Amino acid sequence: MNTPLRNEHFLHLYELTNLKNQTVQLARWPVHKSVGLRVLCITDGKFEWTIEGQKYILYPNDVLVICPWQTLGHQAGTLEIGAFEWLTVVPEVLEKETDLRLGAWSNLLEGDQKITGKLLAAHAPVVLPQFKLVHDIILKIDNEIERAEFAFQTRVNQLIDELLVVIVRQLGQQQNQRRDFPQVFQKLEQLLREDLEHPWTVEEMSAIVGLGSTAFTEKVKAFSGFSPLNYLINIRISEAIKLMKRTNKSLTDIALEMGFYSSQHFSTTFKKLTGYTPGQYRKKVMNDE
Amino acid sequence: MSVVNIAQVLSYIKYYTSNMDCIITINIGTTAVKASVFGMKSQLLGSRKGSYPIFHPKPEYSEQDPEQVFLTVLYALKNLLNDEIRTGKHNVIAIGFTASMHSVLAVNRQGVPLSNAMIWADNRAQREATELKQSALGKLIYDATGTPIHPMSPLAKIAWWARHEPSLFGRTYKFISIKEYVLFQLTGEYLIDHSMASSTGLFNIHRLVWEPQALAFAGINANQLSEPVSVFHQSTQLKKQYVQLLGLSANTPLVVGGNDGCLATLGAGVIAEGAATLTIGSSGAMRVAGKRILQDDQQRFFNYLLTEGHYISGGPTNSGGVVFEWFSQQFGASSNHLDYEIATEQLLKAAENVQAGAEGLLFLPYILGERAPLWNANARGVYFGVNINHERRHFARATVEGIVFQMHSIGKLLQKYRSIDTIYVNGAYASMPFWAQLLSDVFNKTVYINDNHDSASLGVALLVLTNIGAYGSLSEAAKTVTSHEVYYPNTVAHDNYAPLFNIFERLSHKLGDEFDAIAALQEKTEPAIA
Repeated sequence: MNTPLRNEHFLHLYELTNLKNQTVQLARWPVHKSVGLRVLCITDGKFEWTIEGQKYILYPNDVLVICPWQTLGHQAGTLEIGAFEWLTVVPEVLEKETDLRLGAWSNLLEGDQKITGKLLAAHAPVVLPQFKLVHDIILKIDNEIERAEFAFQTRVNQLIDELLVVIVRQLGQQQNQRRDFPQVFQKLEQLLREDLEHPWTVEEMSAIVGLGSTAFTEKVKAFSGFSPLNYLINIRISEAIKLMKRTNKSLTDIALEMGFYSSQHFSTTFKKLTGYTPGQYRKKVMNDE
Repeated sequence: MSVVNIAQVLSYIKYYTSNMDCIITINIGTTAVKASVFGMKSQLLGSRKGSYPIFHPKPEYSEQDPEQVFLTVLYALKNLLNDEIRTGKHNVIAIGFTASMHSVLAVNRQGVPLSNAMIWADNRAQREATELKQSALGKLIYDATGTPIHPMSPLAKIAWWARHEPSLFGRTYKFISIKEYVLFQLTGEYLIDHSMASSTGLFNIHRLVWEPQALAFAGINANQLSEPVSVFHQSTQLKKQYVQLLGLSANTPLVVGGNDGCLATLGAGVIAEGAATLTIGSSGAMRVAGKRILQDDQQRFFNYLLTEGHYISGGPTNSGGVVFEWFSQQFGASSNHLDYEIATEQLLKAAENVQAGAEGLLFLPYILGERAPLWNANARGVYFGVNINHERRHFARATVEGIVFQMHSIGKLLQKYRSIDTIYVNGAYASMPFWAQLLSDVFNKTVYINDNHDSASLGVALLVLTNIGAYGSLSEAAKTVTSHEVYYPNTVAHDNYAPLFNIFERLSHKLGDEFDAIAALQEKTEPAIA
């Protein structure tokens, strides 16, 4: 591998590297940050790395996805015996608090890119044990670049999309399988609260949990008594009430901050849930003074 | 066609077209609110629920947002009214309330919450509670209020606010529970029932007034708490916005109700001596009813008020179903691809096939510390007697048996004060046949599973129905509770458990110093929360 990259065809593909190490090397693998979004797959040996301050023992086919704000390396800087490969993509926008934008080369829908970014940021760090599919896709990408046949750039871009899709799906499934639903639901609730302004859809929420949207809606309903969107509205209105009672923010500002697309939309929803219009509600609290 | 048939048809038509009277109960629990509708003979006609989260801003903190809880109450109530009550053309005669004990939040003069509510699981007031418990004042307050001196009690929590958040404390107009907040939102009145008050650690359960010594310890005066009223107290002040929103008639009485522990006991049919209730859900408790409190000089029991002259006493445990869930999560799934529920089921099946006593493998279930009867936050879990023949299934069985032994250690102590002939069980775990039989064998008592699994809601229904005259008294109401599933003790199994239980009890006490030592060690090496 070690294909020279970052030519005019692949500005977004920063590196594609396969590292085989046959003797223990000191000061070769310190804890460091990556340039872009790095997908790394162990192919041989055993590594004891520190990822975001936590210690992990990694075996062949274990996969890591590291964002630029996260750190990875060996605590003492040692490079252990074994082999691993990685690919680094530099998206147009990849920041912890901002929506992920991959760039024009990607065919992933805007919403799906956002979910990808959110999921990666929510999992600090992403470690997917025994996920060989990633190795297969990286190999295909390498082959495409090596052979440089007709339309290989297009194929490579498609394969990077594919790589992200399988990672996001696996992440969701990992959530779904390793914990019971109440815990999964709690995690989802946290994500929603962190970004109430975001126009969440059921599809996005179910992708995070790793379920199809029909099964997701049923599970949420059985567990919480709410449909996913009604649950979200319940959080939004209760947060809005707190802002109305404790701050002087205008109702319009509160509405937008809480993810309502207009103050009219906010007002109707508020009245339906609480029996008061937002204006009446605020007055009620003041009058009790 | 015979005349009888026509009469029958007519009566059906009458039944389905006439308006039937009903009552509504609101049960504000730890993870969800449940709104239920009952007929005048306390038959359950339907229910709706809505859940809300628990926040843990720090490891010891457990909080809930009162605004979200209130909205969720409205949501569940509205759904119940729309889906069940209007379609059934029922008349709502009254609405009754119950809630989890020990929650407390601060509100300002306008009734605006200054904080989230600390719920029963919140442990931040550990130091305040320990200091008080070790003092002579602690004993006096326990005797007067019936609530064990523990970080769970609003007494300790308010004292924590006074020490750690003086600014919030200074701005606080009242300290109220989540149930009081819900009632305040609906009516504009601050009302606390005697039952709920009896679980605050601030209320004198003998004289039915706020206890001056407890108030002084918390640093507040009686005006900063709600007005204590009888559990039967009715408010007819439902605000007109809610009358309209819910489509209720304007004067629908709201019955204040009581705490969920006392009402679950009533709803299990237990209101006099001779029987006990036992709940194993996520946590657990065993309770008895009586006309007098249990006077335990080691402060191991709670004594709460159901209503004047009816005390509900018993012991709560941390080691309920949550312990088995822990075991199942750690050791149940052999691979990532096994569904959690299936793993739990398989483990229980495997456990069932091991003989009583798990072939000498014993488990102390204190992975969350323990409340009754040890009251030792430093207690930790122990598998004892492991030999080379023990397999995973033995561990699974020992885990369930350990939880049941823990219940028995509460029950045994209760029997020093009260006779218990039968036990009524409820809660997701205790109502499983395997668990119910185990309870029966270990206790050597007849065990009934209540037909209605939400006995707190049924308890409110009985209270409300008594209040409006459908029953002559709570005792009469309690007699209508049905329990069809019954388990009798197997004496052979009981004889197997008895010596094991003795080791369990001795070990729990002998390990006191070692529990302290290992807890101190764990505190130092506590992993960083990811």
